[in-house]
Amino acid sequence: MTTGAGVLTSPSSSLISVQDALWYKDAIIYQVHVKAFCDSSGDGMGDFRGLGQKLGYLQELGVNAVWLMPFFPSPLRDDGYDIADYRSVHPTYGTLDDFKSFLQTAHERGIRVIIEMVLNHTSDQHPWFQESRSSRTNPKRDWYVWSDTDTRYRGTRIIFLDTELSNWSWDPVSKQYYWHRFFSHQPDLNYDNPDVREMMWENMRFWLEMGVDGFRLDAVPYLLEREGTNCENLPETHAIIKDYRARLDREFPGRMILAEANQWPADLRPYLSPDEFHMAFHFPLMPRMFMGLKLEDRKPITEIMQQTPSIPDACQWCLFLRNHDELTLEMVTDMERDYMYDEYARDRGMRLNLGIRRRLAPLLDNDRRKIELMNGMLMSLPGTPIIYYGDEIGMGDNVNLGDRNGVRTPMQWDGGWNGGFSPADPESLYSPLMLNPVYGYQSVNVKSQERFDHSLLSWMKGIIKVRKSTPVFGRGSIEFLYPANHRVLAYMRQYGKETILAVNNLSSSAQAVELDLKRHKGNILIEMSGRNIFPRIGDLPYLLTLGPYQFFWFRLRKI
Amino acid sequence: MPEETILTDDFLRELMNVGEVDILIGVPTFNDAKTVPQVVQAIRGGLLKYFPRQRAVIINADGGSKDSTQDLVRAASISDAAQATHIQALRTLHSISTRYEGGPAHGRALYTILAGADLLHPAACAIIAPDSVNIQPEWIDRLLGPVVRDSFDFVSPMYRRHKYDGLLVRNLIYPMNRALYGKKIREPYPTEFAFSTRFGSYFFGQDIWSEDVGSKGTELFFTISALSGGFRVAQTFLGDKDRIDHAPADLIPAMRETVGTLFWSLDRNFPAWTADKPPEAVPTLGPQPQVSQDTLRVNRKRLYDMFVHGVAELEPVLGSILTPATLEQLKATAALPEPRFRYPDDVWTRSVYEFAASYHKAVISRDHIIQALAPLYRGKTYTFLAENRDAGAEEVEQNVENLCLEFEREKPYLLELWDGKK
Repeated sequence: MTTGAGVLTSPSSSLISVQDALWYKDAIIYQVHVKAFCDSSGDGMGDFRGLGQKLGYLQELGVNAVWLMPFFPSPLRDDGYDIADYRSVHPTYGTLDDFKSFLQTAHERGIRVIIEMVLNHTSDQHPWFQESRSSRTNPKRDWYVWSDTDTRYRGTRIIFLDTELSNWSWDPVSKQYYWHRFFSHQPDLNYDNPDVREMMWENMRFWLEMGVDGFRLDAVPYLLEREGTNCENLPETHAIIKDYRARLDREFPGRMILAEANQWPADLRPYLSPDEFHMAFHFPLMPRMFMGLKLEDRKPITEIMQQTPSIPDACQWCLFLRNHDELTLEMVTDMERDYMYDEYARDRGMRLNLGIRRRLAPLLDNDRRKIELMNGMLMSLPGTPIIYYGDEIGMGDNVNLGDRNGVRTPMQWDGGWNGGFSPADPESLYSPLMLNPVYGYQSVNVKSQERFDHSLLSWMKGIIKVRKSTPVFGRGSIEFLYPANHRVLAYMRQYGKETILAVNNLSSSAQAVELDLKRHKGNILIEMSGRNIFPRIGDLPYLLTLGPYQFFWFRLRKI
Repeated sequence: MPEETILTDDFLRELMNVGEVDILIGVPTFNDAKTVPQVVQAIRGGLLKYFPRQRAVIINADGGSKDSTQDLVRAASISDAAQATHIQALRTLHSISTRYEGGPAHGRALYTILAGADLLHPAACAIIAPDSVNIQPEWIDRLLGPVVRDSFDFVSPMYRRHKYDGLLVRNLIYPMNRALYGKKIREPYPTEFAFSTRFGSYFFGQDIWSEDVGSKGTELFFTISALSGGFRVAQTFLGDKDRIDHAPADLIPAMRETVGTLFWSLDRNFPAWTADKPPEAVPTLGPQPQVSQDTLRVNRKRLYDMFVHGVAELEPVLGSILTPATLEQLKATAALPEPRFRYPDDVWTRSVYEFAASYHKAVISRDHIIQALAPLYRGKTYTFLAENRDAGAEEVEQNVENLCLEFEREKPYLLELWDGKK
C-alpha cells in the first residue's frame, strides 16, 4: 500500500508490485457489488467483512483486481450511484475500518481494488444538495445547475428514456429547475464551480490515501453543460479530467482511472491519453460480440474494431460481456438494435431503456460452448477483461425484479441456506435468490462447481491462467486475419518477440478455415491450453477445423 | 453429367467458406459484363432490404465468359475485408463465381447452381437472368417471399410484355403446357424463378443431366417437373421485361429447346398429364400480366411465304407426321392468298398434338419432327400478328385464352393419338 506521497507501506506479504505502473494492462478485473457477494452480519445484505472472507475465492479464480460498485452512504434509489456521503461506507456494508481491512487483505492476496467515484451527480439527499436547494442565496447554491426555465440545453439527449421526460426537474423548495442527466433524484454537480472541482478531488484523495488502486469514474462525458451543444464530451470536461489526472500522477503514481463513457470509439479516443484516462470501456464492442455470435458472422466485430482508433501505449480498453447495467444498445444502428432485441430480448420485460437487462448465461441460452467462446474472445481481444460477479459460474437473472435488479441477485455459493450468501431469514435478503431449476442456487453455485474439473468455474480458472501466462493479451498489438470463411474470427496478437494466433468459430456448426499465415512460415503452432503441437506453417494456407463455437489460442514458436 | 466436373476445388473452397445459407440466388452468365453489374446490384439491394437477417449467397455459374463478367459478380460481395462502410448490412454477403465446362448452356448453369444449393441447404433459391435490365430490388422479395413466407415450392414469374413478345410461348408452350399439366403458368420457360430447397433437391436428383434437356430447355422442364411432381406452385408479377438486343434467335434451336423439351416430357410424365382434371389457376401475387402495345414493325409477308413454301417443300415429311385430314386442311390453308390467310386455332392445335404424338412414336427422326414444325409455327405466328394487329390488351388476352381452351378441348384427341387409335 502506498501513502499519499507514494511511499510503499504494504506489508511484506503483499503480492502487489508497486513498480509496475502498467498493471492495469495485465489485470483481470472482477466486478462485484458488496451487497451481493457475502453477508457476514446476517442482516440479509452483503458487507465488507463477507467480501473479505471471499478474497481467497477470487484469488483462486485468478483475478487480480476487483471493481467495487458504490458502497457509500446512499438512499439506494439507484443502487448506490446516488451518493449521499463520499467519505464513508454505507452502514449496512460495514465501517470504514472494515473497508480498510478488506483493502489490506486484498493487497496481501495480490488483488488491487478499484472503487467507484460518481463525479457527475449526487443523491438529492446529499447535504450539499440539501443546502443548495434550501435557498437561492445559500453558499452551495452554485454547486448544482439551476435554472428558471426547463428550456436550456435543449440539444441534450435523455439517457433514462423509460423513466425521465426531461433533464430538468422542478424543485418546489427553491422554486427553480435543477439539471440531471440521469434520474431526477440525482442532481448534476456544477463543475463550472471551482469549489466543486476541488471538493471532488479531495474526495478522491481521501480514498487514494487509504490505498485504493484506482477509480472507475462514472458518467464522465456529462460533467459540464454548454448551450448549443449536446453537453457531452465538451473540451472543458476534458480539461477537468486532465487536472485530476495531473494531480493523481503527481501525488499517487501508479494509480489508475477508468472512464465510464458510453460513446463511439472516436469520441472516446480523446479521453484515452497519457494526461487523461488510463482506461476506458469499449462499449460498442460488447453488443457486437453478441451480434456476431447470433449472426454467426464476424463482420460486426471486425467492423467496430476497424473503427476503433489506436490508443497510446500507456492506455487500455476495458472489455466486458456483462455488467450491472443493461446490455446497452445505444452504440448500435437502429437495424442492429432491432435485431438484438428480437434475438436476445423477445420478451419485452427483458428490455430496459435502450438495452437488455439480462445476465451472460441466459443471454447465451445457457450454452456452455457459447459462454466459453465469448469469454475466450473477451480474454484475447485487446484490452483488460472484466468479469461480472456470478458470470464465472453461469448465474441467471430475474427480469421480474424491476430496473436492473434482476442481474444483481445474491452470489450463489452453495446449495444450502440462502445459497451460502447469508445466514439471515430468506425473507430479509435484500433481493430474492435465484430459485428456478435451471439457474437457482441449488443448481448453479460455487461449491458444486469447485468439485469438478469440467465445471464452468474450473474452465474459467483455466482460461484466466492461460491469459495471465503471457503479457501479449494485455499489451500486444492486434492484426485481424480475414479468412474467406466469415464465420471464423481470427487475429494475431503480438508483443515483443511473442506472437499468438486466436481463432474463434462463431458458428453453431463445425467449420474449416484456411488462414494466410505465410508471413509466419516455419513456425509451429502450440495450442495454449493443452500445449499440444500443431503442424508447421508452410507455403500453403493453413487449414484448421473447429467444432461448433470452438476457439483456439496458439503460441507461434520457431524451433 | 458427372458431379466432379461441376464442383471444382476452387468452387468447393468457396462453398465451404459460404457455409449454410438461408437464401441462394443463382445468376447464370456468359459474356454479360454490360448488364450483370446492375443485376447483381439489384439482387444485393433486394437482399439487404427484404432479407437483411438471412444468410445469403449469390452464386454465378459462368459458361466461359471472355469479358469481366465473373469479376463483376464477385464485386457484389459485402465483407469486412472490403470495408464497404457505406453499405448498412448486418451480415457478410458472399458473391461467388465458378465456371462450368462445355461452353454456355443454361442447363449446365442451373445444374451448377443446384449443386451449390445441395451443399449449402438454403431454404429458398432464386435464379435471375444476367440481362434482366429491368430488375428492381423488389423482384427478390416477390420471387423469394412466397417460398420463404408461404412455403411454395416453385414461383414462376409474370411480366408486362409487348403483345408480340414471347410468341412461341403464347401460341404453343403456354396453351399446351396448361392443357396437359393442368396449371395456368404464364411463363413456363422462365429466366427468373424461385424454388424451395425441397423442389431444388428433387430436380437436382433427376436423371436428366446427361441428356439434351440437361443442357437446353432445362428451365421449361423445371417448370414441368414442379407441375408433374405435385409441388406447390405460385406466380408472381415482376413488372416490365424488356428484350435485350442479342443476335436474333434462330427459330429451330429455340424450338428444340422449348417444343422439343415439352414433347420429350410427355413420355416421361405420362401419368401426370393424362390425369383427368381441368386446368386450374395458381396463386398469383400482384396483378395479372398485361401486354403493352407500342408500335412494332413485323414482316408478316415473310412469315406467310415461309409457311406456304414450307408446307409445299415438306409435304412428304408432314405426311409421315400428320393425319391425312390435318394435312389436307393444312394444304388448303396454305393455298389461301395472304389477305385471307389464317391458320385456325383448331387446325393448329391438332397439328401440334399430331406432331407430339409422332415425336412420341419417333415416326422419323425426332429432330426432323421439330424442324418440320417450324414453318407451321410461322403460319400460326402470321395469324396471331394479323388477328391482334389492332387488338387491345383484353382482346389479345382473350385470343390467347381461346387458343388455350382449344388445346384443352383437343386433349382427348392427343390421348387417342398417343394410344395409336389414330
